[in-house]
Amino acid sequence: MSCIDVLHLSKSYGSVQAVNDIVLSVKSGSVFGFLGPNGAGKSTTIKLLTTLIRPSSGSLSILGIDAVMNPLQIRDKIGVVLQQPSYEPTLSVEKSLDKYGMMWNVPKSERKKRMEQLLKDFDLVEIRKKRNEDLSIGQRRRVQVAREFMHDMKLLFLDEPTVGLDPSARRKLLDYLKNKVKTGLTIFYTTHILSEAEYLCDEIAIIDKGKIITIDSPDSLKSRFGKEKTIKIHLTEKHPEISSLLFGIIGCKISFDAGTNIVIHSEHSELVLLKVLKILSENHVEIEDLSAVPTNLEEIFLNMMRENASST
Amino acid sequence: MHPVLRLVNRNLTISLNPGFLIWQVIFPLIYIFVAGFAYAPLIQDVPFGSKDLDYPAFLASGMIGFNIMNSTLISGILIWNDRRHGMFEQIMSGPFTRSHYILSNICTIGVIGLVSASLIAVVGYPVFFESVEFSFVTIPIIIFGAITGSVLFGSLASIISTRIRSSEGFNVIINTVFLFFAFVSTAFYPADGAPEPLRSAFYLNPLTYLVDVIRAGIFGTITEFVIIEMLILAAIASVLFIIASRLLTKLDF
Repeated sequence: MSCIDVLHLSKSYGSVQAVNDIVLSVKSGSVFGFLGPNGAGKSTTIKLLTTLIRPSSGSLSILGIDAVMNPLQIRDKIGVVLQQPSYEPTLSVEKSLDKYGMMWNVPKSERKKRMEQLLKDFDLVEIRKKRNEDLSIGQRRRVQVAREFMHDMKLLFLDEPTVGLDPSARRKLLDYLKNKVKTGLTIFYTTHILSEAEYLCDEIAIIDKGKIITIDSPDSLKSRFGKEKTIKIHLTEKHPEISSLLFGIIGCKISFDAGTNIVIHSEHSELVLLKVLKILSENHVEIEDLSAVPTNLEEIFLNMMRENASST
Repeated sequence: MHPVLRLVNRNLTISLNPGFLIWQVIFPLIYIFVAGFAYAPLIQDVPFGSKDLDYPAFLASGMIGFNIMNSTLISGILIWNDRRHGMFEQIMSGPFTRSHYILSNICTIGVIGLVSASLIAVVGYPVFFESVEFSFVTIPIIIFGAITGSVLFGSLASIISTRIRSSEGFNVIINTVFLFFAFVSTAFYPADGAPEPLRSAFYLNPLTYLVDVIRAGIFGTITEFVIIEMLILAAIASVLFIIASRLLTKLDF
């Protein structure tokens, strides 16, 4: 069952087309990743989906409710962690959580229970009495994300929630979210950190210049766009003749730098590597280091951005 | 609980810190008991309606209106802080509408204005009790003054907060506007003794109408002119409230 259904959604500000005819569908109980470079239209899309702004055209259904006709009904059932910080500077961490729960009409006894649990889950116990204005950026971000779990929701929008978090806090948050998804929560997740999307998301959409370029699972994206691998070879000493030695190997793109580094891009990296190693060995060229860079979402993302830029 | 009440609860929690409460009491107390008695030998009797008031009584009653105006600054600060710290957008992405947000601000300043007026009335009572003339309209008039004044000055502070982005700009404009209102009014001294251009300027200032109405309620001197002042006050408050609501409705994310 779909949790979000978007059909030909567009939003323009004057002559600027921030979101251009996007179509997407998000399954209930899944994590949908939304990736794109700065200014691609990610935050505008989130603002449209969370009913903060109205679309210029297209239809939008969230949890089966028409977002243009009944925005309040939708906002009652969703959680939103916006990209920019949001906090009440003079309130303490625990008061922030409690008041946020109160704003969502959570009964007092339930608020107390949830607050204690969230303080533990987000490592906020030690700073529970600290005022928001005295927190570090990372601590404030953790409070902002934790606060959203004070109330019940079916769908959670997270706009770059790990900005400012250290690697350990980031991993903890991702694991926390994974567990929440197991209980039936649907998450719409935007990020710049592609390893996060790879770790967390069931499906990924890549947006650039307001248009969705592709939507697929991380594995399918890898198999579709990530066949090419990168092999890096570092030699012990300079060999000016190396380029002529390797010239002629087909099915690859080889680049050299000052004479000690060789970088090979190929879709048949294993075969190419064997040929390169054979040539180097026959010519008594010593290798200091060799690495094959695994295909990851980041490379796919960068390739797609380059392709999209050259096609437009 | 209704969404507006939940937001009022939240507004009061974040606004009423001990510093603000102490300021709200100490500041008028200094005016009433230090300035009031220090100036008393210079300003002996102040004619008001059919009465002659002593200066401390005149000042104490003026401080009620002044304190209502001061406390409604909170409305502007609330909106400005919510925008600056991302809470406006966060609240709007929750189970609230812009109407809820606007109404909650008005209710918040209404509550703070009423409490503030009551507080100063209680504190100032020993100073003006000899001249007080209670009637069945005294309390309704003070409540009318407190609510209308709160809406008027709260809307004005809200308008400024929706137009200004920098904290320096916001503070400078709010302080300048409110300083003008405070001293070019009849809160501290009577209009009658002031030189002509200043005397007319007093009546371009809504705080003058507010303190006149409150004084009339306390000292039982409700004249036709006071009724006109009440109508003017209500009209200005309504216009400013409509402008503030429109600006808040149009606030962009």
